[in-house]
Amino acid sequence: MVSASMYIAQDKLTTTLDELAKKFELWVPVAAMEKQRVVRFMPYQAGMEPVLAEQSGLGPKNALLPQVETLLKFSYRKDVDDPGQKRLQLEAPEPPKQALIFGARPCDARGFLIFDQVFSHGPYVDDIYTARRETTLIATLVCLDEDAACFCSSVGSGPADMEGSDLRLTPIAGGYVVEALNDRAQPVMEVLAEPASEIQLAAARKVQEEAAQRRVGGADLTQSRASFLKRFEDMGYWREMVSQCLSCGICTYVCPTCYCFSITDEMKEDRGERIRSWDSCMFYTYTAEASGHNPRPTRLERYRNRVGHKFGYFPEKYQGMIACCGCGRCIRGCPVSIDIRRVAENLKESSDACA
Amino acid sequence: MKTSLTTELHEKIREVFTELELMIGWEAGFDALHTTPVFIRSADDVGRLTWGLLCAQNLTTYLGKDLTLMAAARESNKKIGICVKGCDSRSIVGLIQDRLIERDRLYIIGLPCQGVIDWKKVAARMPISGISSVRIAGQEVIIEGAAGERRFDLQELLARRCLRCLYPNPLISDCVVGETVAPRVKKQDVHQDVAKIEGLSLQDRLAFWQQELDRCLRCYACRNACPFCICQDRCIAETRDPKWLSQYVKLPEKFLFHFIHAMHLAGRCTECGECERVCPMDIPVTLIKEELNKITAELLDYEAGLDVNAVPPLVTFNPSETGL
Repeated sequence: MVSASMYIAQDKLTTTLDELAKKFELWVPVAAMEKQRVVRFMPYQAGMEPVLAEQSGLGPKNALLPQVETLLKFSYRKDVDDPGQKRLQLEAPEPPKQALIFGARPCDARGFLIFDQVFSHGPYVDDIYTARRETTLIATLVCLDEDAACFCSSVGSGPADMEGSDLRLTPIAGGYVVEALNDRAQPVMEVLAEPASEIQLAAARKVQEEAAQRRVGGADLTQSRASFLKRFEDMGYWREMVSQCLSCGICTYVCPTCYCFSITDEMKEDRGERIRSWDSCMFYTYTAEASGHNPRPTRLERYRNRVGHKFGYFPEKYQGMIACCGCGRCIRGCPVSIDIRRVAENLKESSDACA
Repeated sequence: MKTSLTTELHEKIREVFTELELMIGWEAGFDALHTTPVFIRSADDVGRLTWGLLCAQNLTTYLGKDLTLMAAARESNKKIGICVKGCDSRSIVGLIQDRLIERDRLYIIGLPCQGVIDWKKVAARMPISGISSVRIAGQEVIIEGAAGERRFDLQELLARRCLRCLYPNPLISDCVVGETVAPRVKKQDVHQDVAKIEGLSLQDRLAFWQQELDRCLRCYACRNACPFCICQDRCIAETRDPKWLSQYVKLPEKFLFHFIHAMHLAGRCTECGECERVCPMDIPVTLIKEELNKITAELLDYEAGLDVNAVPPLVTFNPSETGL
């Protein structure tokens, strides 16, 4: 019988990950290079040093919604019965492996809850995402780190929020207490060797309680829909708020809740792949129409859409749920430091005054 | 960060504000380590502007990309005000050379610059959570953090681009705020970083760029932050018809994009270093442009963004040219 809570000592972390990697496709946050400190989730390889004491710059989105993934492979082959013709052959992508995301943050796990609404909960079910989601476990850290860009409590989450996670990792002195949050987590627990002691569990409880009491971020942003709709046509507002936007894709690519994609057929000679790749509503081509018309011709309409999607259209469609997990990556990563909290908070001000 | 220079900047702008359509400058950002560009359209808002060690963004990028700015200034017969550091002023010169902007539609506030801080260098040295202020005293940066005050040598925190800056003083301006600053580097040492890469064997050089560019997300922040990337929505990296680059994010796509980006800038890049600063994956992409600039200097004795009347060598043709 496996204990309900286990312990990983800091000095056993990499050997534990080595063991887990035998059973799972394992995703961990690692620094890209020693001096350049971009931490991103990568498939684990022996020798990698995970960075668990700070939030990753690029979260685990790639594990469930890869930047590029093959939807199907195709080839044209000569028809043996009718050699003048070619026949199309289709090949399904490989089924997903058992995967484990180790060291996510509550904000990272929350991002996937938003994806689930879109890809798994109907009316349209994306088989590829759903299959991968079902075979992926998420081990989430109780978050002790926050900086000026974090605002998870403003979106209805918080540093101890375990919604959407399968295992809880609680950092205590000398290591991590690991707790299964559901039955799915059992295969992970079986790999771990050391049960958590009473003292370690008590230390973990303390860390969890303290984290649960922390409020990260300012004003509540979950009820911004009505004020967004009132602001929609107020281009002066968008000009004031986001004129400095460069219309690059950083905010959308680092965002755990941005899921927009493009589908293209990439072909060479008589074979190719249909791929799904991340797209960004910040790009001109995202809404460019074949006629040449573009309904979002400038960065102002594009940024407005980003705010509208997260705080207006998404909750309208999905029972009030907003499509923002408060991780702050878009703020930290923005080359011109646009603060989406400010844009969302200020929606209210004079639109209410006008009303 | 209210310094006497910031106050002086406010005064200078207020004096001329009636002549301006708007003023592009920096204001405080989401924390004490960041500023954000701001477009000031009312004299009442001039006090929002700030100037100092954190004003990293090259604001001239808005001039060439948002053509409505110049159009509005022509319409109102006013000027676009803009704050420029030394490096940014070279971009202004380049944009005038490229005939993308009109000199007499600009009111340029030149800001002699000691360099800007790379906040990631701060983050590598102390917890950035809870930092309440950053100020400078001489060559020392004093940072008020959650656990008390920390002092650093300015040199230690400067962005790479600032460590190799030859032109800290604006080359073109209508007024200057601040004292002239001496460059930190000698002309012969400007290309030291790229010389290191040149010193590698071809194989190692390829390996270096493979390792670096492998991280690229194709977010195009480097392109969009560049004052000279003005193809905008027609960039070869994104066009669908013809479709030059696939949607894959493998090395060939990344190499093609970055090297085409750099080639388009050969002889035009003013080395403001914005492409490198904005990269979310910390890829030293300016190095590619530095190499091209080094070659341009060696072959054609030309440095971009110094003289509005000079003709950039790669946009002209001289049949008597020798040595190429």
